[in-house]
Amino acid sequence: MEINKGAADKIRVAAADFKPLSADPQASSEKRVFDTTLFSDLSSAGIFDMVSKSMQPTATPGSQQEISIAQWASAPTSASMVAFGNLNVSAGKLVVNGFLDDAKNAQYPLIFTKMYTDEATDDAARQVAHRFADEIIFRLSGGVPGIAESKIYYVRLMGDGVKEIAEMDFDGANQHILTHLGTDAISPRVSPDNSRIAFSALSRDGFQIKMYSLLLNRPVAFPTAGGSNISPAWGPGGSQLAFSSSRLGRNDIWVSDPQGAMARRLTSFGFDSSPTWNPKTGSQIGFISGRTGLPQLYTMDSDGSGVTRMTDGGYASSPSWSPNGQFIAFAWDRKYGPGAPGGQDIYVMEVATKRWIQLTNGIGRCDFPTWSPDGRHIAFANSPDGRANHTRIMGMLADGTDRKALTGAGADMPNWSWK
Amino acid sequence: MSTTVIQHRNIATEERFGGGMGLSITLHLLVVAGVGAAAWTGLMLHDRWGGPEANAGAIQASMVSAIPLPQKAAPVEKSVLATENASEAPAPPPKVETQPPPRPTDIEVKAKTQPAKIAPIPAPAPPKHPQPTPDTTKAASGEVATQLPMSVTQVKNGTASLTVPDRVYGARYAYYFGIIGRKVAQSYFTDGISAIASNGKSAVVVFDIERDGTVQNLRLYQRSGSPTLDAAAMAAIQRIDTFGNLPAGDHITIEYKFDFHTQ
Repeated sequence: MEINKGAADKIRVAAADFKPLSADPQASSEKRVFDTTLFSDLSSAGIFDMVSKSMQPTATPGSQQEISIAQWASAPTSASMVAFGNLNVSAGKLVVNGFLDDAKNAQYPLIFTKMYTDEATDDAARQVAHRFADEIIFRLSGGVPGIAESKIYYVRLMGDGVKEIAEMDFDGANQHILTHLGTDAISPRVSPDNSRIAFSALSRDGFQIKMYSLLLNRPVAFPTAGGSNISPAWGPGGSQLAFSSSRLGRNDIWVSDPQGAMARRLTSFGFDSSPTWNPKTGSQIGFISGRTGLPQLYTMDSDGSGVTRMTDGGYASSPSWSPNGQFIAFAWDRKYGPGAPGGQDIYVMEVATKRWIQLTNGIGRCDFPTWSPDGRHIAFANSPDGRANHTRIMGMLADGTDRKALTGAGADMPNWSWK
Repeated sequence: MSTTVIQHRNIATEERFGGGMGLSITLHLLVVAGVGAAAWTGLMLHDRWGGPEANAGAIQASMVSAIPLPQKAAPVEKSVLATENASEAPAPPPKVETQPPPRPTDIEVKAKTQPAKIAPIPAPAPPKHPQPTPDTTKAASGEVATQLPMSVTQVKNGTASLTVPDRVYGARYAYYFGIIGRKVAQSYFTDGISAIASNGKSAVVVFDIERDGTVQNLRLYQRSGSPTLDAAAMAAIQRIDTFGNLPAGDHITIEYKFDFHTQ
């Protein structure tokens, strides 16, 4: 019988250093990358109370037979769960055996064991650690997949003043540029199946919606329309694309299929932009509208009916709907105007009740929040001194805690992948 | 022509003015003379105040021995309406003898004694799990009633305890039921529960968890008697999309008991 103190306490997990099975000098580099990545993935998941490595037993168990589970369950380790295993490099192959044990269950401690095989490189070791961490998070969080394999797409400010679309891992590692358009490419939005990125780029026809295929690694065709076409947003099925277009004079929300065909207009009052779909149902769209003056957050049904105003004032921008459909994160300057107190910060509003909380405060201008696929994290753009070229991407838990920078200066408009 | 008229008028005005002037002086002189005559008559021909005349009027006073005051009326003795004799005043209330204040020396002061130390009576520890109430309509040998819960979670205002009828399964995959307990506690909201009506009551819900972790066949197994507690217990399970894949097996049945105690 297990007695839990309450809902708030986190599962205490110990991540042991993995045991190297070979004396290969290359293995030590991969082992270090693997151990570091696993520990950081588990701690940044936000649902575990990680045991500090200094509190762990000195023995390094490599398999189920070698671990003395009572040693890990007792103080000062006091772990509920232990992740451990072994790592072997031979003939350019990396083989990792991972175990997860329930330290409270002396009779049947083993929860699962996994074997991973990959190239013997640091990148591969990091990927294996991500997958093992995802598996642990998936098992222990009750069915919510981990995010260790998710990506963040963002805008990289290049040295020559242009903006290109870039990609990185969820923890900020492995940053690289995707597009080479030599122009301003903004608002990247990845499709739900991670196959394409829709974005808005400045061309001789003004801002136009563009497509980039992640499978072909090149831009693919998307029709050009009159006026300025900005802020694309994928519907959760991947069969619809919402965006803001001024092809009929004023900026309205339009919806088309992913090929840009069958475009139809949803709003008609003008000054509407930044659509975001309810990813859970696909039947609602949140958007920003300046129809009553300063931009405010609105929601409507995906056919354009039932428009509801959500914010009561200030200057709202860049909404992002949470994966479970319960919340909308957005940037808000509640006291907008010259000399007004406060600044632009990240807020989260519960859609059903319109109750909101403020997540950031006093760290400079914040904008472009985006939810992680598990709904537990939010990435956003932050400029500590308000200057555009100092903007960086930050990550935090969805309650505003555990905030850390994912990139250096020169990164903006993050968009977290759907899985 | 107009000049001639004005001159003529001036001549006429001068003639009339010369005659009236003599009359006016004469009249003024007559008035002055009259006033002087009147003043002389009034002052000279009158008696002087305080003068030496012997027959001047005076008050005569003569001394007497007694002043003739009016007679005093005899007091009316027989009148019932008014009397000058004061009636007898009512006797004052009898004086109550006051107790003299106790002197400090009257009260015996006990010598200070250390109270004998009594070992605190150990309060009976609250049961760590809700005691299963014997169901009288069933045989007492039923194993469900005597089974200890797999996981007991302290929630706001009470406890939530999970029982797995399949005890072997429960012991083998204990961690999974810890996850279930944690998820249910997170989605169990006590705000809507009427504290007065629900205090000390328990609602039991039973449901199956399918292979993919979804909830099926959710039903209220035992009503608590408080509809708000019943609804909150049902909603706690209904809010959960999935508990995560089952570690093994096709499905398991879970019995969840929500006890409510105001703190």
